[in-house]
Amino acid sequence: MSAAYILIWGCMLLFGCSSICALLWAIRTGQMTGSQEGANSIFDAAEPIGKPTDAFPGAKR
Amino acid sequence: MSVTATEINAAAPDPEGYVNERVDLLTRVQIDRSCRQTVVWYYASAVVWLLLGSVFAMLSSIKMHNPDFLANYEWLTFGRVRPVHLNLVGYGWSSMAAVGTLLWLQARLCKVRLPFRRVLPVTCVIWNLTVFAGMIAILAGYSQGIEWLEFPPQALGSFAFIFVILLATSLKMFAERKVKHTYVSQWYLFAAVIWFPILYSIAVVSMQLPSVTGAAKATINWWFGHNTLGLWVTPVAIATSYFMIPKVIGKPIHSYHISLLGFWSLALFYNWAGTHHLVGGPLPAWIITVGIVGSMMMLIPVTTLAINHHLTMIGSFHMLKTSPTLRFVVFGSMVYTLVSAQGCFEALRSISRVAHFTHYTVAHAHLGLYGFFSMIMFGAYYYILPRLTRNEWSSAPLIKVHFWTAAGGVILYFAALTWAGWYQGEMMNNANIPFIQTVEYTRPYLIARSVGGMLMSIAHICFAILVWRILRTKPVSQFHGPTLLANPQSEAGLAS
Repeated sequence: MSAAYILIWGCMLLFGCSSICALLWAIRTGQMTGSQEGANSIFDAAEPIGKPTDAFPGAKR
Repeated sequence: MSVTATEINAAAPDPEGYVNERVDLLTRVQIDRSCRQTVVWYYASAVVWLLLGSVFAMLSSIKMHNPDFLANYEWLTFGRVRPVHLNLVGYGWSSMAAVGTLLWLQARLCKVRLPFRRVLPVTCVIWNLTVFAGMIAILAGYSQGIEWLEFPPQALGSFAFIFVILLATSLKMFAERKVKHTYVSQWYLFAAVIWFPILYSIAVVSMQLPSVTGAAKATINWWFGHNTLGLWVTPVAIATSYFMIPKVIGKPIHSYHISLLGFWSLALFYNWAGTHHLVGGPLPAWIITVGIVGSMMMLIPVTTLAINHHLTMIGSFHMLKTSPTLRFVVFGSMVYTLVSAQGCFEALRSISRVAHFTHYTVAHAHLGLYGFFSMIMFGAYYYILPRLTRNEWSSAPLIKVHFWTAAGGVILYFAALTWAGWYQGEMMNNANIPFIQTVEYTRPYLIARSVGGMLMSIAHICFAILVWRILRTKPVSQFHGPTLLANPQSEAGLAS
C-alpha cells in the first residue's frame, strides 16, 4: 500500500518539477516577455488582425 | 508555386504586402495539405466511435429507468454496456478527436509541415484496432473492472507506441518551428502529449502489482481517472479555444499574461486534485485534504480563462450568429468555467457528503466531457475540416440543428440529473427514508436524461452526415460559402 502512495506522490512531484523546469526554460528564453507579440503570433499577412476567418456556409461576406 | 512579377504589379500599390500575403497563404495551404491524411483519418474514426458510443449511452440510460430492457443478453447487461460507452467516448471519440486537433494545431502554430506522414496514419489504424479490441473484451466480460481502465492491460503496448510517435512528431515540429514564440496553446498541447502517456503507463502497470489492492487501488484509479480529464482532454480543448476564438474573430487574446498564468497554475495544481473522488473513503485524511486543496486551487486557471475569453469576445458576440466554430467553442468555454467552478466546490467535504455517489456526479462528468470538451471539438472540426478537404460544409441549417440539439440535450441532461442527484443524496442521508423511495423519486429524471441523450444522439447523426458529405465531395468544387474566407479561389489554386 505504501508503495502505491510513493508511486503516486512521486509522479505528482515529477509532474510538478517538469512544470517548474518548463517555466524556468520559458523565462530564460524570453517566452514570458513581449506578450503582445505572443498574442499576435497566430496572425499573419494572409489572415491579419481584424479579419474574421469563419462563417456558416452560404453566408454573404 | 511562385509569385510572378505580373501578379505583384497587379497588386500595386503594396507589392511587398502582396508578396507576404501570398507567401503566408502558400505556407498555410502546404501545412494543411501535409496534415490532410492523418487528421482526416483520426477525425473520421472519432466520429464513428462517437456514433457507436451514443448507441451504448442510450442502452445504459434506458436500463437505468427500465432495468429489464435487453436484460436477457449477458453482453448487453448494464455492467458491460456502461463501461463500453465510457471507453468508446473516452478513448474513441474524445482522444482521437484530440489527437487530430493536436497535430493540426501544432503544425499551424509551429508553421511547419506535419512530419512522419507515413507512420502517423498507421498509428490511427492501431488506435482503432485497440479501441475495437477493448470494446469486444469488455462486452465479452473481460473488463478490468476499474473505471477508465477497463481495457485489458495489453492496450498499454499500443498506446505507448502511438504516444512515442505523437511526442516525437510534436517535438520535431517544435524543434523546426518557424515562429520563435511559443503560443499559449502549445504549452497546453505539450502538457497533454507528455503527461498522458506517463499517467496511463503508471496506472496500468501499478494496477497489475500484487501489492496494489483495496484503498491503494482506488487511489491510483481516481488519480488516473481525474487526470485523464484534467491533463489529457482539458489541455487540448483549452489550447483549441485559445487558438479558435482569437483566430475566428480576428482579434488577439485580451491578456496574454493572464493566459500564461492560467496554464502554469493548471500545470502545477491539477494533478493534485484526483483524490477528491475518495472523500469519505478509508484513506488517510491528509491524502483527501491534499486533493481538496488542489481542487480549490483550480479556481485560478478557471478564472483566468473565463476573464480572458470574455474580454476577448467583448464587441464580437454578434459573430456567434455567423460562425459555427465560434458558436461551439464559446459554448464549450463558457461551460468550462461553470463545470470547473462546480468541480472545485464539489470537492469540499460538505458538498460531497450529499453529492457523492449520486446522479449529481454523473451530471457534472457529462457537463465536462460533453458540454465543454466535445463542444469545443465540434467547433474544431468545423474550422479544420474545410481547410483540410478544401471543401465547404454542405448545409448551414444542419449545422444549426447539430448545435441546438447538442446544447439542448446536454443542458436537459445536466439539469435533470443535478436536481435528481442532489435530492437523491439528501434522501439517502436520511435514515428514515426507505431506499426504494429514493429510486422511485429519481425515475422521472432518469427518463428526462434519456430524452437529453436522444437529443445528443440526433446531434451526432447530423454531425456524422455533415462529416460524411464533406469527405465524400470532390475538393474545390463547392466554394459557395465563406467558411474558408481567405479568398477561396486563390487558396484553391495554391493547393492544386
